[in-house]
Formats: sequence, C-alpha cells, structure tokens
Amino acid sequence: MTNPYLPKPYELVGIRKETAIDYTYTIDYQGPVTGGQFMEVSIPGVGEAPISISDFDGSTIDMTIRKVGRLTDKIFEMEPGDSLFLRGPYGNGFQLDNFKGRDLVVIAGGTGLAPVKKTIQHYMENLDQVKSLEVLLGFKSPSDILFTDDILRWEEKAKVILSVDNPVEGWDGHTGLVTTHVTKLDLSNVKEKTAIVVGPPIMMKFMTLELLKNGFLEENIWVSFERKMSCGIGKCGHCKIDETYVCLEGPVFNYTKAKNLLD
Amino acid sequence: MSINRKTVTKNAYRITKTRDKTCLRIRVPGGHLETRFFPLIQSIADDYGNGTVHLTTRQGFEVPDIDFDKMQDINAKIRPLIESLGLDMAIGENGYPAAGTRNISACIGNRVCPFANDDTTRVADNLEKAVYPHDFHFKIAVTGCPNDCIKAHMQDFGIICVTEPQYDPSRCITCEACSDNCRKKVTGALSVRDFNIERDHEKCIGCGECILKCPTGAWTRGDKKLYRMVIMGRTGKKNPRIAMPFLKWADEETITQVIQNTYRFVDNYIDRSLAKEHIGYIVDRMGFQVFKKEVLEGVVPNKEAQIAENITWGGYWYNQNLEFK
Amino acid sequence: MGFRLAENEKDRYLSELLQSYHVFAPVAKAGKGAFSDTDVVGYGEIESFGDIVLDRKSHFSPKEVFYPVRETLFQFLKDEVLETTIDEKPLVVLVRPCDLNGVRRLDTIFLKNGQEVDTYYERRRKKVKFLMVECTEGFDTCFCVSMGSNVATDYDGALRFEEGSLLLDIKDPALATEILRDRPEADFQVEYIRENKVKVDAPPLEAVTKDLFDHDLWTEYTSRCIACGRCNTSCITCSCFTMQDVQVNDEKNLGERRRVWASCHIDGYSDMAGGHNFRKKHGEKMRFKTMHKVNDYHRRFGEHMCVGCGRCDDVCPEYISFSKCINKLNQIAKEVAQ
Repeated sequence: MTNPYLPKPYELVGIRKETAIDYTYTIDYQGPVTGGQFMEVSIPGVGEAPISISDFDGSTIDMTIRKVGRLTDKIFEMEPGDSLFLRGPYGNGFQLDNFKGRDLVVIAGGTGLAPVKKTIQHYMENLDQVKSLEVLLGFKSPSDILFTDDILRWEEKAKVILSVDNPVEGWDGHTGLVTTHVTKLDLSNVKEKTAIVVGPPIMMKFMTLELLKNGFLEENIWVSFERKMSCGIGKCGHCKIDETYVCLEGPVFNYTKAKNLLD
Repeated sequence: MSINRKTVTKNAYRITKTRDKTCLRIRVPGGHLETRFFPLIQSIADDYGNGTVHLTTRQGFEVPDIDFDKMQDINAKIRPLIESLGLDMAIGENGYPAAGTRNISACIGNRVCPFANDDTTRVADNLEKAVYPHDFHFKIAVTGCPNDCIKAHMQDFGIICVTEPQYDPSRCITCEACSDNCRKKVTGALSVRDFNIERDHEKCIGCGECILKCPTGAWTRGDKKLYRMVIMGRTGKKNPRIAMPFLKWADEETITQVIQNTYRFVDNYIDRSLAKEHIGYIVDRMGFQVFKKEVLEGVVPNKEAQIAENITWGGYWYNQNLEFK
Repeated sequence: MGFRLAENEKDRYLSELLQSYHVFAPVAKAGKGAFSDTDVVGYGEIESFGDIVLDRKSHFSPKEVFYPVRETLFQFLKDEVLETTIDEKPLVVLVRPCDLNGVRRLDTIFLKNGQEVDTYYERRRKKVKFLMVECTEGFDTCFCVSMGSNVATDYDGALRFEEGSLLLDIKDPALATEILRDRPEADFQVEYIRENKVKVDAPPLEAVTKDLFDHDLWTEYTSRCIACGRCNTSCITCSCFTMQDVQVNDEKNLGERRRVWASCHIDGYSDMAGGHNFRKKHGEKMRFKTMHKVNDYHRRFGEHMCVGCGRCDDVCPEYISFSKCINKLNQIAKEVAQ
C-alpha cells in the first residue's frame, strides 16, 4: 500500500531570478514528466501547493514560482543544497501527439507561460515536428517578463509576438492586451491552426473568444486550467468543475470540453 | 379618607394623581407568567379598575383606577397568583410587599432566545427567593447574554449570563467563522494561530457567539453556568450612569451572596436622615473598596471568578454645566 | 442469520462486541448543543444499548468516526517523514440505511476516484464494520426514498430494537459473538421505510444544461445562504478536505501535515494562491454543491451522491431546504426543456 500523499525530499540545485517576484527553481529530479504537468511542492510544516513544471531535462526539473503566500515566501528563503519536498507529477500535461504536424500557435499570459514553456521549447528545438510555430506572449509590464533569455532564443527561430499591457519608457515592443494581437498571427489557414492558450482565467476566457472570432475551430484550441489542487489525486474536491477533476483529467483540456466546464 | 400611605405603597399599591384611586402592582419575577393567571388579572381590572392594565418596565402589571377601599378584597383575590409566583413569604391581608426591592426582571432567556446562555427566569426566581422581600430599594435584572436586552447595565445589580467557551481543536476546520464574528461583532478575543483558534480569556466576554457560529461543534459550552455581574447603574435625577463590571465568570452562589451581603452593607451605611438613600450613592459616599470588602465578606468565590480591582463609574451629573445653545 | 436477544441479554452482546471493537452510535452529548441547556446527538462510543439515541436524527453524520474532522497525515522531523499510526482496534458503527449508502459514496471518492487509493481513508475504513439500525419511520426532513437510499443490504449486521428484545441479522460471522452461538435462529427480515413526507425529483442528467447554471434560481441563495458550511459538515457524503501544515514545537524542527474537512460553501474553498476565487457568490456555491450532489457525481459514478438524509435541512441556520432546492431545479429543468 503506497501512500500517495507521502512527499520525498529533492535537492534544490539552482535558482534563477525571472522577475522581482518570480524565481525559477531547478531541482534534482529524475523521472518521466510531460510538459504542463504539476507537482505538489511542499516545505514540511509550512505548506503544500500545486506548482507547474516549467522545464525538465531528465535529470532536473524547473518550477517557476511566484511569491504569493506562506509557502512561496519560505521557498524564496531557500538556497541551493536545500531540499524541497515533492510528490507527483500530476495531471495530463500537453500531449505532443495533439500538436504534431500542425500549424501551432502558443499563447500565454503572465505566469501562464510557465506550464507551457517546455512545450514551446520542445517545438523550437524540433521545428520539423510542426508545420509552423508562432508564439504570442503577454505580460503586464516589461519587468514582469519571464524567461527573457529563452524568449530571445525563440525569436531567432520562429515568430514571437511579445506584448506588454503597460509599457515603460524604452520599451519598443508590442503593447496592449494580448487579445489585441491575434490578428498579427498568420491567419491565412486559420481553420487548420491549433492554439494553446494558458493564462489567468479572465485572459483565457477572452482569448479563446477572440480566437473563435478569428476563425479558429473549437477542437483546435487547447487550454490549461489553474485550480486550487490540494491533493492532486482526485480526493480533496477543490479542483472539481462539474464532473471533471482538473487534477485527474486536466489541467490541459481541449476547448470542446473546456467550454462546458462551468465553475 | 384615611390610609397609611407608607403601608399602602409598600404593599403593592400606588399613590396616583387621583386622590381616591390607587393602582395595583403585580410582580412577575423573571418576567414569565403562566397564562392561567390572565383571567384573574383581567377580572381585577374589569371589576375594580377601568378595564386596562399597564405593562411596566420591570415586567410587572399595574392595574389602575382602583378605589382604595377595595384593597382588601383584591388582596384576597390575588393570593393564589402571589403564592404561585413564590412571593408569599410576607403575604398578609394587606397584600404583599412590592416596593423596596423591585421585581427582578429578566430577558426572555434560553426558554426562547438562541443567544441566551441560561434560563434567565430561573436565575431571577432564585435571586428573588434569596432577597425578597426587602424594604431597601434594589433593582436587579438578569439578561441572557451581553446583548443585554433587559438593560442590566441600568440596574444596581445586572446579571449577565455567560459561558466559558471550550475549544476542541480536533473538530476545528479553521473556517474562522468564530474569529471573524468575534472581531466584527464582539471584542476580537479570538485569533488564528497555526490553523488553531486562540481565545484571549481577558478579552472574552463569554457571550457564546463562537459556539453558535461553529459549524463542526469545535466550540462548545462550558459545564458551569457563569455570570458577569455589573453594578450600580442607575437613572434618576442626579447622576444617571451605566453599571460597571464587578465580577466576571462568577457562579450563581457567588453572585447571590454578594447581593445578600449588599443588603447588610446598606443597612450599615445608609444615611437614614435622607428620604431614601439609594445604594449607588451609598457606594459613592463610602468608596468602592469599603463596599467590596463588605460584600465579599464570607464569600468564597468559585475558582473561575475574577473581581474588579477598582471601579470608576461614568455617567453625568444633571447639575453640571452642560453647554447647550 | 437472524437472532433474537431478550432485553436483559442485549448489553451482554454489546459487552462481548466491546472486547474486540470500539462501538460507535448516535448518543446525546449533554450540554453540548450550540444553544444553552441543549444536547446534541452525535457519534460517540457506547457501553450500553441504552446510550443510543434513535428518536432524533444525529446532527452530525457517522463519517467522522472513520474520516476524522482533522487528521494528521505525517510528522516531519527536519527532513525525515514520520508516518502516523492509528488505533489497531477495529470499530463497529451503528448507522441507518441512508448513511450506509452514504459511506459507499465516500468509498467511491477516496478509493476509486483516479488511479490512487487514499491510504489514510482506507486504513481506517478497513477497520469498520457496520451494524445497520432498521429505520422504517424516518424524520420530517428525510427524503431517502426519493434518492433510492432507503434500502441498504451491504451491512455487516442489522438491528431492530423491539419492545423487550433486540433482533439481529448477522452477515459477518465476526459479529456473531459468544452469546449468539448455539442460539436458535430467529426470523428477521430487515424492513425499510417506503415513503417519506418529503419527496424529491432530481432533474434527469440530460436535462441539466447550461441554462440551469445561469438560471436566476441561484441568486435567491446568494441572498439567503450565509456560507457557514453546516450543510457540508453535517453531510454524510461531503468528502472534501484541505491540507494544513504546522510547526508543532518551538524549535521549528518538528512539523505536521494534516488534512481537515473542507466546505465548498465556506469562503476560501476555491481560492488560489494569488487570490483568484472561482465562486464568490453564495448562490454559486449553492449551485456547485447542488450539482455535485444531484448531477456531477452521478455523471461520473452512476448514482446520485446525495442520499437524502436531510441533515443539511435540519442544520441550516437560514432555513434553506436542500430538498426544496432540488425540486426547484427539476421544475426549472422542465420549464427550460419546453
């Protein structure tokens, strides 16, 4: 009888600052992972929370964490060599089969980039596995941009539209809500295009509507839901929407399913 | 017409503005009365009075417009009512003593009210038995919780029924309904620490709201019935003021003894040259510490009880120069 | 197998059970009602059948006996994880048929939803045997018949308290103690309640459409519900929980992870780190619960979650009736369909 709640300590091997309040933590972790899955991350006696895996290479995983509460405050005090407790990975993640050979556009807002980063990375490195690749990213302001170095590398390989809602002096990139840039995508063959949308609930809602308005087909849109997953294994009830448990059947859903999920 | 005014007023009849008419006062200790007495009260009002009754602030009945010469007839009639109320200790053909120590009033209490921490009528009845009848003018009231619907704070002795909440962390789901409510509605005695609720006993007033709000039964009532006693509140033409807390978390025996001892205190110190020196003014004159020493003499308070070190009353004096325009 | 025990033999049977089991049943906890001078009927250990209260419905369901309100999962000593243990002595719990059907719902969530088995639930649940108390009268707020949970046959033993005797139907031989051995069999067929005062029609699954989610019905509950969570904490089938981590000593090297019951009506249930909340309005919470109990769970597992015990109606301080809500929902489903 294995205890599914039992976390194990894993060594923190690297910390990278992304923004003032987002840091990426690299953890020594071997094991199968799919992009878009999440871990239940904890510090004993402090708390446990679901955090998506932003990258992995077979020997380590990255998790990009925003300082928002008791647990993350404590994580921010940690140094390489310290241990984080993990259990998982949980959820379905982005199944590459769904995007293989497609005209793929990945749209992410804010910290929503973290769960989809590995999938973008994968196709940037394997452009032959998709017909085309476009990336549309939105952040609140230039100082909120995550994975700056990765984005620079992506821009060399594919079309990347990077926009900020609130520009500051010196910002010469795109500005405005991410939804306003949909028309900048190559929409010539829009019914064949596949989109992944990840971001805050309100962004996902309006972005999917915008995509549909521009001719995307429902079955070609994939979203990833963020919910309060306390157990990760379909028991605690917090992530339930209708008869669906986001931790079990999600967090990645096809829009044909997602549109019917009513909180 | 010749009547002994003092005997008459002592025995539940009023002097009224109509010279040959009186008004019968009926005590209802604890303010709860069986309806079987309604026909009796009605018949007195119809047969001897003017067919009306007045409901008093102290929860009695006053039956107005009665001829003085009917007092003896009426006294015979109301005897069963007086006896059943347990007020027959000093009953005689002249009626029963109703002035001096006033009817001990009570809010509706836990016979009906969900907030009440005790059966206030029961408490009032017990106190009535311990102090009644007495010539000294004492006003006592019992209220079921610190909402104080009976206005215990306007009495010489206000008894506020409280409960010492008991917390079982093993049933707590940290919904914080108790602490939120206590902060918004009461004294903010509850705080959350490590998902547990901590109760500040000094801030807690024992109202029991946390118990009522708790969805799991993590908060329950203490086994003991406890009371807060507030003292020397008053209205009147000199210095109206609200009563101040003298005892916290005291049991029924302690509050009863303190009230009984206060009669002795009054007897020792009352200024008999005055018409009716009221207890609050005696305490003012003698000082709180003298009062405290005398009323606690021979009292062994329950172990939970806390006693005020000192009390400073507020209120205002009518003869102060208050600015008006 | 049926047995009859005389009045003076009942407690001997119980004392024999007590040698091997903790026996839990609905009892009156004196002075522990929320209102002063009242008791509350809840589950507690009994030493005599005379302790049991059956003329009132228990305020809290029996689930707390094997699914504690608060349960420590493990302790942490620095980086070492110490697993907790539980009392090895098994339990016998006296339940009514509705609650026994409710236990099956809990089993489904904890043992069958998803790939993983909830080992903390399982370790306690495995130790429980159920003695079902025959229930043929019910109470004013019960609607078990409508929910199809008035009948339960998967008991380990069943009881009927009769004037002067106790009838038993023992299925699990472990519950046939000494006093029952070599005793002639008695004819005892458990009877069930066949009609409640309250009747409920849950809308057919296919009739529950988006129109019902968006319906005005729920706004009424936004104004009425106070989100206290009593409906959840008294419910036999509410299974949700939240993790809590605490430091248990001053040196801050001994920590504890526990889980506590969660309530979808209480604020914070759907709060995410960062502050987003999916159901702020109380009507939305009512909808979430209602759909879970009479729609979502059914879609996933083939039967309604709600067993019609009616405790939520009994305990709601705002006098919201869940059975009435279900009937309203069904009525609206009909109107929408037309």
